[in-house]
Amino acid sequence: MNGIKTENKMSSRDAILSRIKTNKPDLLELPIINVDVFADSRNIVDEFVLKVEVSGGHVIKASTTDDIFNQINTMFPEGKVKYTTLENTAAFNTVDFDTFKSQKALENLDVLVLESDLGVAENGAIWIKDTTLPMRVLPFITKHLIIVINQTQLVPFMHQAYQKIATEDNDFGVFLAGPSKTADIEQSLVIGAQGALSLTLFLR
Amino acid sequence: MNHSEAATIFNKNEKKVNWHDKALWFVRHKRDKSAHSVEGWEELRNLGQGIKAHTLSNLDNYLIQFEENALKNGVQVHWAQDGDEHNRIVHSILKEHNAKKVVKSKSMLTEECHLNPYLEADGIEIIDTDLGERIVQLAKETPSHIVLPAIHKTKEEVDELFQEHLGTKPCGGDPQYLTGEARKHLREKFVNADAAITGVNFAIADTGGFVVCTNEGNADMGAHLAPVHIACMGIEKIIPKQEHLGVFLRLLARSATGQHITTYSSHFKKPRKGTKMHIVIVDNGRTEQLSRPDFRASLQCIRCGACMNTCPIYRRSGGHSYDATIPGPIGSILSPGKDLTKHSSLPFASTLCGSCSDVCPVKIDIHTQLYKWRQIITKETKQPYVKVMSMKMMGDIFSKPTKFEKVGKVARWSLRNLPKGIINSKPNVWGKERDLPSGPVESFDEWYKNRK
Ligand code: SF4
Repeated sequence: MNGIKTENKMSSRDAILSRIKTNKPDLLELPIINVDVFADSRNIVDEFVLKVEVSGGHVIKASTTDDIFNQINTMFPEGKVKYTTLENTAAFNTVDFDTFKSQKALENLDVLVLESDLGVAENGAIWIKDTTLPMRVLPFITKHLIIVINQTQLVPFMHQAYQKIATEDNDFGVFLAGPSKTADIEQSLVIGAQGALSLTLFLR
Repeated sequence: MNHSEAATIFNKNEKKVNWHDKALWFVRHKRDKSAHSVEGWEELRNLGQGIKAHTLSNLDNYLIQFEENALKNGVQVHWAQDGDEHNRIVHSILKEHNAKKVVKSKSMLTEECHLNPYLEADGIEIIDTDLGERIVQLAKETPSHIVLPAIHKTKEEVDELFQEHLGTKPCGGDPQYLTGEARKHLREKFVNADAAITGVNFAIADTGGFVVCTNEGNADMGAHLAPVHIACMGIEKIIPKQEHLGVFLRLLARSATGQHITTYSSHFKKPRKGTKMHIVIVDNGRTEQLSRPDFRASLQCIRCGACMNTCPIYRRSGGHSYDATIPGPIGSILSPGKDLTKHSSLPFASTLCGSCSDVCPVKIDIHTQLYKWRQIITKETKQPYVKVMSMKMMGDIFSKPTKFEKVGKVARWSLRNLPKGIINSKPNVWGKERDLPSGPVESFDEWYKNRK
């Protein structure tokens, strides 16, 4: 294009940047986000539960960790490959972390239980970050995903969520809302596309 | 082929057109419901517009900052001036890693650059992993919508396609079964991939990170399993700070499908241990669009597809009729900037109703820009003789009140009295596929004067 030599990477970089410099408009101001204009009177716990369900997830209110794991064991009885990253629950694991080094074992993972410290009421999104995740692919490749979160860790909007994670240094993180889904065949919603087939949320 | 000729072909199957029209209008409704549930939605749109406009006015510096931070994060950064250079860069990265099998999640940019045929020519297998994109890839077609790539396909067509390529059983187009089979097929591709390519929804200057949004989880399945991740982005994907994601993630999914957020909004910053991450930053005509004061706002687009879903022309003509990677209203203001002659019919594929500008989450004045392109196209490209003459005649009539009155009288009388065969005769394109109304007895002017 335009007879520009493109072998040299530096030259493409500089050519693009200099064209931008010439072609951009005069500097416009960056608007400031005033979060107050978005405030509504909704109860954030109710709103969060509603939005998780809208996105295809199930919400179960729970009291203690023991209670949660008892319920999970009833939902997914013997014979399933289960793994959790929660503290003091190692007895729940049917495999240890080293098994995930093989692709096959990864693919066989049935149930993964994670903990989150941030949920967003307006859309039911839950923040899962690298530091609490032994492998990035786990919440996507598992068949069933279970997340435990405290009510006190919910915020109303995405703005507050980003305020909260601004101080963290995450190499990878995901806002996750519901199980994977698609409507690519004639707009019919199908739960369970390439990622997890189901999402259950335990709200403490 | 111009837009109206291509649209005529799409309209041959009336049942399908009606379904297409209704399905997209339903998505538009879901968008409304979702947007109206947000307190301060208009303020959110103002912020989206303001942040993007500011970013464009300082784009070079933000790109430099982004690159600096990405490099610090251990990510390799490449720059491409056009589609061809982009393809060569991606190809050389794959070669370097000896990658033969590649999985790709949705990226309109790689469509725009025609990456797939480029890689396939060298024997590299490249699999589109978004279900809709996989469907059109198997059908050897292109996406007809930027968010719903296979919206032009019926479930029966998908059924047949999967039987042929994936060996599925005939199922009468059962979406559940077909999606399940696609899941199995794609799992195998993810697990065996040598490299993953993704697009970028937002790239954050002050962290060097980037965000990819999907519902299916395909971008994550690819990127977290393969040893190499290549993310391709246009220069306009930059936003200044991470906190700005709060604005854009609130706008994007609600505008696109009516969801409150996509299932996965994945924030990538550093490669995982033992793997490589590359970012390719692409111009391909964007800096030129930036130079046009009337059209530069089109670079604010966050690719939600709302303008397509709401457009009465798009819904009834289908994405392929635009013969461009980005169809619909936004495509019609981007494409002429790339090739004015080839895409000269697109700005006319609009009623100028303005619905696109009303729904656009970053407040691009789409219909105004369509109108401005029309002015340029009419001046710079040759217009058909009939159009030139009729415009001249109309201009003459409209400028002379007495003449206008006389012609009006004749026209009203004709509409009431002439047989349909004459009114709807060939030269009258308005009479195609529809009956004209019966002419009123008096003009507005007469009615106004005679009213009591
Ligand atoms: S122009 Fe606006 S409405 Fe259309 S796809 Fe882009 S952001 Fe969405």
